[in-house]
Amino acid sequence: MIINHPLLGPRDAAEFVYLGDASLIDRPDWQDEDAMDQFHAYGYLRDNPAGEHKELWYHEQGDRSWLVVTRNTLTHEITNVEIARDVARARGRDK
Amino acid sequence: MSQAGRIDGGLIDRSQQIKFRFNGKWMRGFAGDTLASALLANGQLLVGRSFKYHRPRGVFTAGSEEPNALVQLRDGAHQEPNTRATMVELFDGLAATSQNHRGSLEYDLLAVNDLVSPFLSAGFYYKTFMWPKAFWEKLYEPVIRAAAGLGKLSMQNDPDAYDKGFLHCDLLVIGAGPSGLMAALTAARSGARIILADEDFRPGGRLNAETLEVAGMSGADWAAQAVAELSNMPNVRLMTRTTVYGAYDHGVYGALERCTDHLADSGGKPRQVLWRIFSKRAVLAAGATERPIAFGNNDRPGTMLAGAVRTYANRYGVTPGQQVAVFTNNDDGWRTAADLQAKGVNVPVVIDSRDKPATLNLPGVKHIAGEAVMDTVGRKGLKSITLTNGKVIPVDALAVSGGWNPNVHLTCHQRGRPTWRDDLCAFVPGGELPVGMTVAGAANGSMTLASALAEGHAEAAAQLKDIGFKAKKSDIPDAEDEPRDCAAFWHVGESKKRAWVDLQNDVTVKDIKLANTEGFRSVELLKRYTTMGMATDQGKTSNIAGLAILAEEAGKTIPEVGTTIFRPPYTPVPIGALAGRARGKDFRPYRLTPSHKWAEENGASFVTVGNWLRAEWYTRDGEKGWRDSVDREARMTRQSVGICDVTTLGKIDIQGKDAGAFLDKVYSNTFSTLPVGKVRYGLMLREDGICYDDGTTARMDENHYVMTTTTANAVLVFRRLEFARQCLWPNMDVHLISTTDGWAQFAVAGPNSRNLLRKVIDAEHDISNEAFPFMACGNITVCGGVPARLFRISFSGELAYEIAVPARYGNSMMGVLNEAGAEFDAVPYGTEALGVMRIEKGHATANELNGQTTALNIGLGKMVSQKKECIGQVLSQRPEMNRDDAIKLMGFRPVDRTRKLIAGSHFLNKHDPADMDHDQGWMTSVAYSPNLGHHIGLGFIKEGHARKGEIVRAVSPVHGVEMDVEIVSAHFVDPEGERLRG
Amino acid sequence: MSRLSRPTLLIQKGSVFVAEYTLIAEPPLAGYDETFGDMRLVAPADFALVSIALPLGREDKALKAIKTGYGVDLPEVGESILSKDGKVRLLRMAQDQAFVMFTHSKPDAAQVVSKKIKDSAYVTDQTDVWTALHLSGPSSRRALERICPIDLDTEAFAEGHVARTVMEHLGVVILRDAADSFVLLSASSSAGSFLHAVETSIHNVT
Repeated sequence: MIINHPLLGPRDAAEFVYLGDASLIDRPDWQDEDAMDQFHAYGYLRDNPAGEHKELWYHEQGDRSWLVVTRNTLTHEITNVEIARDVARARGRDK
Repeated sequence: MSQAGRIDGGLIDRSQQIKFRFNGKWMRGFAGDTLASALLANGQLLVGRSFKYHRPRGVFTAGSEEPNALVQLRDGAHQEPNTRATMVELFDGLAATSQNHRGSLEYDLLAVNDLVSPFLSAGFYYKTFMWPKAFWEKLYEPVIRAAAGLGKLSMQNDPDAYDKGFLHCDLLVIGAGPSGLMAALTAARSGARIILADEDFRPGGRLNAETLEVAGMSGADWAAQAVAELSNMPNVRLMTRTTVYGAYDHGVYGALERCTDHLADSGGKPRQVLWRIFSKRAVLAAGATERPIAFGNNDRPGTMLAGAVRTYANRYGVTPGQQVAVFTNNDDGWRTAADLQAKGVNVPVVIDSRDKPATLNLPGVKHIAGEAVMDTVGRKGLKSITLTNGKVIPVDALAVSGGWNPNVHLTCHQRGRPTWRDDLCAFVPGGELPVGMTVAGAANGSMTLASALAEGHAEAAAQLKDIGFKAKKSDIPDAEDEPRDCAAFWHVGESKKRAWVDLQNDVTVKDIKLANTEGFRSVELLKRYTTMGMATDQGKTSNIAGLAILAEEAGKTIPEVGTTIFRPPYTPVPIGALAGRARGKDFRPYRLTPSHKWAEENGASFVTVGNWLRAEWYTRDGEKGWRDSVDREARMTRQSVGICDVTTLGKIDIQGKDAGAFLDKVYSNTFSTLPVGKVRYGLMLREDGICYDDGTTARMDENHYVMTTTTANAVLVFRRLEFARQCLWPNMDVHLISTTDGWAQFAVAGPNSRNLLRKVIDAEHDISNEAFPFMACGNITVCGGVPARLFRISFSGELAYEIAVPARYGNSMMGVLNEAGAEFDAVPYGTEALGVMRIEKGHATANELNGQTTALNIGLGKMVSQKKECIGQVLSQRPEMNRDDAIKLMGFRPVDRTRKLIAGSHFLNKHDPADMDHDQGWMTSVAYSPNLGHHIGLGFIKEGHARKGEIVRAVSPVHGVEMDVEIVSAHFVDPEGERLRG
Repeated sequence: MSRLSRPTLLIQKGSVFVAEYTLIAEPPLAGYDETFGDMRLVAPADFALVSIALPLGREDKALKAIKTGYGVDLPEVGESILSKDGKVRLLRMAQDQAFVMFTHSKPDAAQVVSKKIKDSAYVTDQTDVWTALHLSGPSSRRALERICPIDLDTEAFAEGHVARTVMEHLGVVILRDAADSFVLLSASSSAGSFLHAVETSIHNVT
């Protein structure tokens, strides 16, 4: 597999570490009333789509950036690769 | 032996004679021969025995699809079984032996299987060895194992070296036949970076095997000319002896290059290299494979594919016989007759299953139309053939052509499904091809020369355009399109005798029919039930005929039946090549601590911790076993002072305005309030509230912390911190960089530790208890100005420090510390004594932080701050993880102090039965405490502290050991912590 | 270590000390220098490496200080540049991180860099974290293609290009510092495995 890093260009998947669903960026607020339920969902509940999936990859043997990779789970086609920090900011994670 | 099978011509070098041995007999061949062509030249038609029935078999093909001619190549440890004689280049002194016979090749004792063959039909194993069950292990399996398999392993370590590598190109061209060469020329002339790979040692593909002309010269000459042009271009990498065996995601291909297999001696260089090829685009020009027709006794030595017979005649100057009949269902078979005749070999007859006029007008060759071969005679070599009209024709070889299958294999590696073409009676590439791949030439169903050349050019040009190169208008050389009509004729129904479909796995037409009768009608089930196509050749010559017969039996069309899925590798890849260099001590990298050299010189034994080698103890003269050394090290440390290299703990440099706030998020306890110059123990949780890692983190400056992690989790914690920094709190000013290898760090522990350090730390630094109390840290200098870091932390429970110097000084520092410590009888200690002392002190490590336990369990519940947010904080509050009777970390000692505790023992109340319903907890860590004089243990037990003083049973059913143990505090030594503050 | 670090220890004023013990620097591959055919493999002496992290929100200030200090702009990620005086190479490793590579023997490389950039960024000494090998010669690429997944073609990996990748399970930074010349950095603790990997690659193609 090859991941087209937004800054570094195409790199072999061997340089990367896979984490999982990019929804892990959306960590709930610990002070919300239903924080326990939210964290339960955050920790354990995942969609398992047959098709496009946004997922987190870490360029460990590279620039140490976390990436949000949009990959088709049926074909392995990668249609988008974004810097996870930019995605997290865009999704409104404050601090 | 004279080369009776040698005829004129060919691309061999007759000036270079090569001697080789087959089954101990010396023979001669020429440079440019394969082992198969040389054996045929020497009249050696019988080359092996078949897998199941031990039938005599001969060379069947001239390529990598060979099902029969598998030999053991080379001697001794270099011996390799199941080597295809058709792919082995002849070298001087080559030694090959035939395989799969008990006794000699000529008189195989297991040929009795052939006589009892009615009992060995499809599914034989499944049906026969069913019962009694007890017979399986003792009788059936050993006997079957002894009889099964083809070649034999040397049972010695493989002495050859293997390597791997990475290649990059704009265009990968797979196959150097007419379409591949044309594609490569087109691409190379455009300036694109190309790789042209071919499994053969001589590029050219069928051009080397045919008498067809290209651009007014022989095909072989044109190929040589093209190769010469490509070889001189810097943007071309021409890889012969290289099989592209797999197509993977995103234009990645796997290829095996056989570097020294054609040499008598590898010269210490890698025998084979496994390449990972990164391509922007690829043109598959893998050609086609001829298939046989199934008829009675169609497996006798001397029966060969017609195209192969042509290859041997035209390329190697060899004929398998002097009277060669041709049996074909297509136009192409006729060319074998023509080429043989041109070489002076007698072709008495061409039997064409089609009822139509002769394809070629060959004077002297009898054409029998609309008939077929239904049987043959000649156990170890063909003597005659019998036709469906009853006619018997004496021959010593038979060339069979059942048409050609495009080599679609690589097009299917990403689940592409081939489509059927009636006009070719074959599957061609279809469905979704691997990303970036197109197919040209015979592999794409363009079976004729002119069309293959044109398509090679066109496909390359189209691919180049896609990636920004412009193909020059190359001249496509002149060539003709041969006639290529083919009939759908798969097997000879009139045959009474066994008709072989899969020669390598001995699968007959009858077996396929039986499978269908018994309900194995899916092609995937047929394959597994009959084992058709499951041998090392993966059914390259047999699969299509097999499923055609299945289709016929099931009353379906061939496309309805479909094919099995082609998966990598295209041809076998040796395990050695897959392993590459990763063997023995090179299996993985090793890491050395900075004081490794000193430790080696001072009697250390080493233990592997991840990739690290750490000193586990230092043996001194007179010590009889490891316990003597470990006991001494632990005792002397507590009595005076000990020194241990603790460099392996992960070190992460954390800087930034928000470094403190960031640490508050990732640790369960608070670090933003830690004063500069202080160290704090930190506990990390997983998001689910389970303990993850622990260590100490020092605040070196307002915006600068130095974190330590456990050795095992150093990489994982770093990864996780980066996740927190980039994905969870992306707007914090915090920066991480590993400094694990940068600092040689030593624990200096024991009552004399300060006295020792005073001698090496430069005098201007005050390390008195007042100036540098417990949990202090700071930048210092040692030995006259070398920068160092000092931390007053203790893992042993003694007055202790950790001192770090730049790693380059680490080995020297270990020596200096021991030298300076000599007056205190300082000892170096290893990981075992370290473990003993941490158990004596009740510190949790990986045995306790095992991925199942919470802060509450290990007695650190108060460290999970409820005043701030941190990873794991919310889910750690789940009720089930906070039960009143939760397990707690406690100490344990045997009631009978002479007894040895066993880690992993489970705790049970005095009179309860020993089952999981009554389980009270388990022992996590045990050690002999030289300071207490008996064994001690740590473990988890329900309700913990409330049960102090209680006696429970520690039971280890695995060891058959049970004993009474007393529940005590986990702090066996200095429970009040007075020593470490002293 | 940051130059800003505040010593927490009392200093005995006026005391004169004579160091009783001396520490010897022993970098893992010190002194290694071998020639294989047309290739030369050397462990550079007095190699120093310092990491610079650009403070969030104060990147411009840091970049300006770097420009002032070294006379060149910090290059894009994946590229490196020599300082104006040609003595220091700046390697941009990530968006917010760079390495400063130079020749320096004393264990105070971080302070040197910090001073040069006027404390405008967070610095960490990486000298002892890494070990360096310098491979040069016409066959260098042939040797490296046995272990390096990065495309080292002269155009794809131009002079000055730098990449962090993995070779034989080891994290490696590769820099092309001249036509047929590469600097390889890997963890100092696994220097033995690293050298073995490179030497084996060279052996296998010569």
